[in-house]
Amino acid sequence: MGGNQSVPKITAQDRAILDLKLQRDKVKQYQNNLKAVLDREEAIAKQHLQAGHKDRALVALRRRKYQQGLLLKTDGQLENLQQLVSTIEFSLIEVSVLHGLKQGNEVLKEIHKEMNAESVEKLLEETAEAREYQREIDEMLANNLSLDEEDTVQAELRELQAVVRAETEPSKDVLPSAPTSEPVATEPLAELQEQIEVGSDLARTAIPA
Amino acid sequence: MALSTHTTTTDFLLPSIHSAPPFFTQQLHPASLSIATEQWIQLILKYARHRRLFTIKVEDSEAPGNNWDEVLRNERINRKVLPSYLTYILAQMVSKKLAVYEPPKQDRSVLIYWRLPEEWAEVLHDWVSSTGNLNTIMTFYEITDPPIASPLSGLPIPLLRQAIAILSRSNRAQIIAIAEGEGVRFFPSTGKA
Repeated sequence: MGGNQSVPKITAQDRAILDLKLQRDKVKQYQNNLKAVLDREEAIAKQHLQAGHKDRALVALRRRKYQQGLLLKTDGQLENLQQLVSTIEFSLIEVSVLHGLKQGNEVLKEIHKEMNAESVEKLLEETAEAREYQREIDEMLANNLSLDEEDTVQAELRELQAVVRAETEPSKDVLPSAPTSEPVATEPLAELQEQIEVGSDLARTAIPA
Repeated sequence: MALSTHTTTTDFLLPSIHSAPPFFTQQLHPASLSIATEQWIQLILKYARHRRLFTIKVEDSEAPGNNWDEVLRNERINRKVLPSYLTYILAQMVSKKLAVYEPPKQDRSVLIYWRLPEEWAEVLHDWVSSTGNLNTIMTFYEITDPPIASPLSGLPIPLLRQAIAILSRSNRAQIIAIAEGEGVRFFPSTGKA
């Protein structure tokens, strides 16, 4: 099919709104014209005054005053038009909100039909029974372990606990305390002196040969 | 002889070639003619973008006192573009799709595409979204003459129609016509091209 399916149809309300907006535009353009005329009349009045024609200037100013009155009236009409347009657009929004609510309500009703209170209660009861049964089985299995295996399991648990504790607590290595006096070398130096004496003895005995 | 650039009263920087007298003469040699014409086209596009002018006519070169004086004339070197040269430049712009004859079927007045209609379509849609006017009916006057200046102020109606046509191809605009006139309604982009 053509690509125009996602564009909504033009309704009579749309046309009505467009008509109002076109009228509003016409009034605005009329106002612009009036403003231009006002400025021109003021310029003409000034010119007449400069030429010394006070009466003609007065006539121009009176014309200007009349047009200012027209401008005010059209302001009022413009406001009316704007209000009407806003009201129509707002009521269209209200209609679509109502439509949305209605649809949501119907969907909710459908869901509730499937999910009535009795079947939910029955389901919860069955789940509770199943959980109870499972607990019994666990207990039976727990009792089936012999005493030896139980001891081994407990020992393993204690080991694991120790490992976990060592990992979580910071390591408490015992560090040596700092020395408080000068270090004194004792045995190694004495040994070294002996070796030197032995070495020199050997040297002395070698020569006579 | 060093040529200089010149800034006009409307704050537009004219290139230095504009100060060269030969620039204003239609060259005879084809190579220099095409280079000069290309420079003129770029200058016209830039100036139109700067002053937001949408049309240029041959009669703008026939007499002073119009929006194109600063570009088509250079009083300092006493030169101006002759109407015959401007006609040639306009024809070149149309053939490069940088302008169209508007109204059609004449060759004295063109609508300048310093922004392509496709780009105008995007600008239009963005402006409509940002002013919260999606899904509302708007008149053409509302778009070209908004109370607050917008990137679309003063857009000529033919260009607006082209932009709307482009948007309606991607289902983002819909024209509504009644006896008194026309309006348009814009829709949000669906994300599908």
